[in-house]
Amino acid sequence: MPRHIHIVKVHHLTLSFPTRKDPNPKPVLDDVDFGIRDGEILGLIGNSGSGKTMTSLAIAGLLPESARITSGSIKFAGNDLLEMAPKERRAMLGRDIGMIFQEPSTALDPLMTCGKQLDEVLTAHKDKAGTPEERHKAIVEMLGTVGFTNAEEICGRYPHQLSGGQRQRVLIAGAALLKPRLLICDEPTSSLDTVTTVSILALLKDLCHKLHMTILFISHDLSAVRGFCDRVMVMKDGKIIDRDTASDILTNPRNSYTAELLTNSRLDTRILGLEPATVDYSRSPVLTAKDITAGYGRSLFERVKNKKQTDTNVLHNVSLEVFPNEILGLIGGSGSGKTTLIRSLLGLLPHSGTVNIKSSSIGAIFQDPVSCLNPAHTIRWHMSEALKASGRQLSSEPGSRAERRSRELARITAVLEECGLGAGYLSRRPNELSGGQRQRVAIAMCLIQEPALIIADEPFSSLDASSSAELLKLMTDINRERHTAFLLITHNIHIVRQIAPRLIVLHNGEICEEGPTREVLGNPKSESTARLLEAERSLHGL
Amino acid sequence: MASAKRNKTYRSPEASAFYTAGLILLGIVVIAFIISLFWTPFAPDATDASSKLLAPCLRHPFGTDNFGRDVLSRVMSASKYTIFISIAGVAIALILGTAAGIPAGYYGGLADRGIMLLNNSIMCFPGILLALVAVAVFGASVTNVIWALGLVFAPTFARVCRVGTMEIKELDYITHARVMGVRPGRIMTLHIFPNLIPQLLPATVIGLANMTLFESGMSYLGLGVQPPDASFGKMLADAQAYIRVAPWLIIFPALMLVFYILGLYFISEGLRVSLSKGGK
Repeated sequence: MPRHIHIVKVHHLTLSFPTRKDPNPKPVLDDVDFGIRDGEILGLIGNSGSGKTMTSLAIAGLLPESARITSGSIKFAGNDLLEMAPKERRAMLGRDIGMIFQEPSTALDPLMTCGKQLDEVLTAHKDKAGTPEERHKAIVEMLGTVGFTNAEEICGRYPHQLSGGQRQRVLIAGAALLKPRLLICDEPTSSLDTVTTVSILALLKDLCHKLHMTILFISHDLSAVRGFCDRVMVMKDGKIIDRDTASDILTNPRNSYTAELLTNSRLDTRILGLEPATVDYSRSPVLTAKDITAGYGRSLFERVKNKKQTDTNVLHNVSLEVFPNEILGLIGGSGSGKTTLIRSLLGLLPHSGTVNIKSSSIGAIFQDPVSCLNPAHTIRWHMSEALKASGRQLSSEPGSRAERRSRELARITAVLEECGLGAGYLSRRPNELSGGQRQRVAIAMCLIQEPALIIADEPFSSLDASSSAELLKLMTDINRERHTAFLLITHNIHIVRQIAPRLIVLHNGEICEEGPTREVLGNPKSESTARLLEAERSLHGL
Repeated sequence: MASAKRNKTYRSPEASAFYTAGLILLGIVVIAFIISLFWTPFAPDATDASSKLLAPCLRHPFGTDNFGRDVLSRVMSASKYTIFISIAGVAIALILGTAAGIPAGYYGGLADRGIMLLNNSIMCFPGILLALVAVAVFGASVTNVIWALGLVFAPTFARVCRVGTMEIKELDYITHARVMGVRPGRIMTLHIFPNLIPQLLPATVIGLANMTLFESGMSYLGLGVQPPDASFGKMLADAQAYIRVAPWLIIFPALMLVFYILGLYFISEGLRVSLSKGGK
């Protein structure tokens, strides 16, 4: 047996948040005891609230002020971290312990170029700094290491000019610049699509070897650790309940909770028995878009600063048709222009080309269940607002005001029930609903307008497997019973394969492949389709 | 579900302390105001040549001034103007500010630049000076003071609304409303405005306090509430000459002013604490 040197040793750590009212609350971390071996990638898996983030914050010394460590110790390379002075611990951050967070969109300062932010990292640790030229060279080199071919250009860009995956790469570059011995990754891929996820994981693994780093990888998704982590620990309610090598845990979970996590992490659409409506392609399409070219304008300042760059278009001459009853799948990697396309179709973005919509209204549901509903209003208000906006207002109908109101209520209740939400939800506000329920309300708001087409922009990406399955079922039911067409934007090929008879693949703002789903996925002609399929396979083992 | 409900009624001890202190201080002034509507010990402007500059006693608990007027009665009736002017002024400022700020934030571009240019040009003058000029031009009266202060305070609210709107309009529910075909006016009033209230509430309470300070300053300079009506600022100005012989003339109006303003500050602090915790 080779002797493993533990770089971090967490020894019977118990942590709680005492308050004046409750001085001895239930601990958030309960007797957590583990070691991270030098050079390994350790996965820490658990649902939200299981204590995995607190464990990582305790190691990094970034615990909230109200947290109290009641017993235990944390040793980093032999030194007891809890005994150290705050100043010493702060100096260790970045230099010895690096961290990457979940949300790449907020972890970068929007007012600083990427190069400047990376420079901040170096200057904060004076011992590793150098002349500005040396620092710049180190930054460009590191950006190259994390996979940017145009590192110089990236240095001069602002975070909003980068895609989510690119931002996460910049953050990884920032964390790796000081060559820390331990890199804590707190759900670094949960807001990224599959292709980017796979490439980020590959990058982390590569860095781990190149720079001899140790990685503590935190995730709620067991399948993300497949082929990435060496060992995996499963946490529940502040306790480590299972630990094993990654391959053993994934193939043969001994703990019932681990097994449950494993099944939940996979959305098995085959068991749902989804039956989308049959499509008659000879009928005239509900939506015809021709030669759509769109992009984001540059500010006056940028235009003066950089006169040469004129083409900021994200989409180039995209044409598509959606037929009645059809569920049309639209897939593409991050930065392929999916969101720009639907914003153009919805008329939210100025674009050239024509968009013809047959029906008067077109519904839309968006990715983020947190902000899809107005927190200031009840569900009933949302529904009646949708009804009013559709112009199908009942005020022109006969009857007294009270009668009209009760008719309106009946319609709202009927639609909500169709979406699996009872009348009890009418007076609730969005913060009292789960993510899946909010997405259902968003769909109900579309349905009450009776659109011929609903555009769904990655509605599943922030939902867990069971909520996704329910939402998916609802969408196919609507498609079958109401003959509503869907334009489904997703990065989950698995879902598309099950419910969308036709598929469009978008790459770099152009349609690179189009046709019946089975043909496109069975025999990918373009490189980007093949890459999407490959990512799906390696991440979910399907 | 359960936790969401509990959070609503949960109030941190820090916020509670602020609320209690604020409500007690504010309560003193508000109670004096309410009583003054029905009854004051003496008529606030009744002079009595036989009892000039009397020290606080049983008959005149706050003493009398140089005309023999009862200070308690005057303080009580002065609270009326303070409360009325601050509330009316803030209401005007709030209406003007939201009406300018939300469209500026929502439309952006030229509309935003125009509105903010106007806004900033008002803000770059010292507020009290602007209000003084306005009152000097249009004449000193309570109505003019209210309008002048309302105008001077409007930019603060416009800024709060503009920034809040710029954040909210990017959220999916506003995009969704636009896709549904809701008209911009309705989006701004029914979809965006209710979400600005958590930010506007502390600003409003602070606005009330600052408005009171401005009003007393103007009355002190003789451009606010006109004699014989009592106001705290005017009372302080009149009492200045007698500060050595009759300090009660200064102490009681000043105390009331402090109670009112401090009370409002405490409440706004309480709001800030509880809203920032609940907003997460």
